[in-house]
Amino acid sequence: MLTSLRCVFIITLLSLLTAACGPMDNNVDTGTAGQILHLGNGSEPPSLDPHLSTAVNSSNIISTLLEGLVTPNPKTLEPEAGAAISWDISADLRTYTFHLNPDGHWSNGEPVEASDFVYAWHRLLMPELAAEYSYQLFVLENAEAFYKGDITDFNQVGVKAIDRLTLQVRLKAPTPYFLSLLSHASTFPVHPETVAAYGDIDDPGNLWTRAGNFVGNGPFILTEWALNRIVRVEKNSHYWDADTVALEEIRFYPIDNLGTEERMFRSKTLHLTVGVPEEKIARYAKDKPELINISPYLGTYFYRFNVNKAPFDDSRVRRALSMSIDRQQIVDAVTKGGQIPTYNLTPANTLGYTAKAAIPFDIPAARQLMAEAGYPQGKGFPVVELLYNTSEGHRKIAIAIQQMWKLALGVEIRLFNQDWKAFLETEKNGDFAIARGGWIGDYVDPNTFLDMFVSNGGNNRTGWSNQKYDQLIQQAGRTAGTDQRFEQFQQAEKILIDDSPIIPIYTYTAIYLKSTDVKGWYNNVLNAHPIKYVYLQRDD
Amino acid sequence: MSSLDPSGEQGRSLWQDAIARLGQNRLAMLGLYLLAFMVIIALLTPWIAPYSYETQQLDLGAIAPNARHWFGTDTFGRDLLTRIMYGGRVSLAVGFIATAVALVIGVLWGAVAGYIGGRTDAVMMRIVDILYALPFMIFIILLMVVFGRSILLLFLAIGCVEWLTMARIVRGQVLALKQQEFIEAAVVIGLSHWQIIYRHIIPNILGPIIVYITLTIPSVMLLEAFLSFLGLGIQPPQSSWGLLISYGVETMEEYPWLLLFPGLVLSITLFALNFLGDGLRDALDPKASKD
Repeated sequence: MLTSLRCVFIITLLSLLTAACGPMDNNVDTGTAGQILHLGNGSEPPSLDPHLSTAVNSSNIISTLLEGLVTPNPKTLEPEAGAAISWDISADLRTYTFHLNPDGHWSNGEPVEASDFVYAWHRLLMPELAAEYSYQLFVLENAEAFYKGDITDFNQVGVKAIDRLTLQVRLKAPTPYFLSLLSHASTFPVHPETVAAYGDIDDPGNLWTRAGNFVGNGPFILTEWALNRIVRVEKNSHYWDADTVALEEIRFYPIDNLGTEERMFRSKTLHLTVGVPEEKIARYAKDKPELINISPYLGTYFYRFNVNKAPFDDSRVRRALSMSIDRQQIVDAVTKGGQIPTYNLTPANTLGYTAKAAIPFDIPAARQLMAEAGYPQGKGFPVVELLYNTSEGHRKIAIAIQQMWKLALGVEIRLFNQDWKAFLETEKNGDFAIARGGWIGDYVDPNTFLDMFVSNGGNNRTGWSNQKYDQLIQQAGRTAGTDQRFEQFQQAEKILIDDSPIIPIYTYTAIYLKSTDVKGWYNNVLNAHPIKYVYLQRDD
Repeated sequence: MSSLDPSGEQGRSLWQDAIARLGQNRLAMLGLYLLAFMVIIALLTPWIAPYSYETQQLDLGAIAPNARHWFGTDTFGRDLLTRIMYGGRVSLAVGFIATAVALVIGVLWGAVAGYIGGRTDAVMMRIVDILYALPFMIFIILLMVVFGRSILLLFLAIGCVEWLTMARIVRGQVLALKQQEFIEAAVVIGLSHWQIIYRHIIPNILGPIIVYITLTIPSVMLLEAFLSFLGLGIQPPQSSWGLLISYGVETMEEYPWLLLFPGLVLSITLFALNFLGDGLRDALDPKASKD
């Protein structure tokens, strides 16, 4: 009896062992064979609601589930047919007429109609929903007035369903980047009946985004969302361009530790990562250059001040802190990924625009400013907290800057980290002194950076407000000539940098690890990779 | 026969006996010396540390151990030896203070519950059960959120969680002891309850308590590292052994010394604690024969 039991045990153990040693037993090999893409996705996504999400890791998932009027070309980012098959632009550049694809369907089989877009944009602009991205649509006629409550009739806002498949949009001014706005998650359509079925249209806690509830018009459907474990999406057979979609399934893993992520990549658990631990960048670049990607990325890493709270209600203090950071040393010794030190907000050469305003790196002048503000050698300066979301990379930068400030200005800064969701909440409530920020352009235009800091903008979060700045950004929105527009941006950026509600630190590079099996994946400055073109194939 | 004791020997107390027995235990003494060494270093660190624990040399970065930096430097160019010395202050303090808090609460609670017994025992142990059922991370996080983030509170918070097991162990031992004749004898000669608990019960349960202490100290050191990593304990640029190790793990392949040295120091301390704990348990056992 005993021996036979033992035999069974040994046989089971052996079979388990041999199974574990098989060539196919890792996510990358089985995934490539079955067109299942496994990717690291940073932190747990805070939301999958296109109107409420502001995080890049959320929009990575949302853009597989929903499709806007246009989709970007994977190489050039030129707008191409999405939910709209074609569009006409009026001579005054203010009226866009979109012709929706008659084959467009929701994942429940119902057709995508123009009224769905009107519904979604109405929702985005509802003041009760308080969507941080609502300002994306302020380029529409009367949209801002509706959001502010000056008009309550949505019919006056510049978006109309002419018929079932025709959507007409009226802009308040010619907006050169309008089409690229339409491939941003906040302008995506939502399925009206589904949203209504799981809560109020303006309820931020609406449960329609849960797996099983979600109805989308994108190439994939949400099949599983296990908190802190996985988000799984599968191919949507109702998608109009399903023939182009090669992947059967995508699995997003929330891993906020880059070291863990890198180990998973090395053990072939992931096809793609969101980042690379900085101490490993040099080694990959030297030994495995085919696996590491380092490319320009339209984004700025910065710190926000809470300008409503002392001591940062004084612009001299803010400038002094910003002036005493050695950004070159941070990119050389801490981040090590080819990032570019930046002394203003908009990344250099964004559509040909390079800001002239720059915060100097000048420690003596910074000390002078601190003395003028009443804190000579940091005396009397309160202990303030620097808040960042939990991550190795942010921690290292914060430690370096903490020490730079101490040496240069004699100020003590305490570090405090929170996980991504709690961090966003704390920041939104203004419950911080200095907070880490990062902004990735939503489209290639200086406006995507500069309109963030208009008074009460949803992503401003500093409490900073400057009327002249607001005016300039508004004017730039109405100006057609590029030179004139850029001049207005230059002036606005000068105001922003002079008053320093933020500390720009560096311009991002897109650094990640990618298995050679991943094809149809191209580099562009938005690091946007329309998923329907991606496929998996092994090189032999 | 004037004296019952022909050799004229002085009587020796239990404690003297115990100290003598401990002195003969070489491993235990080694542990004691090592621990004393660690504590002295930790106390003297501000005066004897070779470098500043926070001054960075970003240009230098992480370099391997050499003549100037015996343990090498971390990725910010900070001297690792210095950081281990300062980290030791935090880790040893957390280890000892939090364990002491757990010890005091746990022993008192367990001894009282076990000694009084009956309904009091039932109520007291149900309270322990309820606290056990709370996920302890949530409990600590709650304490930290309510009382703010300071190192002292961290000690208390950890101590307040770790006493539960101690209380259970002590209660079990006391229940067994209570039935024995010498306790009955003590009751008969009219000792007060406190005297019985203090003079007879606690010395008899020192063995398991000490073993448990040697297990608690390392676990609270690691707990501190975990809490600090979540942003609830100490914050950079300060550090502790646990934190140094958890950061060392991440750069293990590139800069192995960042894991090796803090790991080594923590292991040595834990070994020392275990040796000493074993020795103390043997030495303090009142049932050990007097020779």
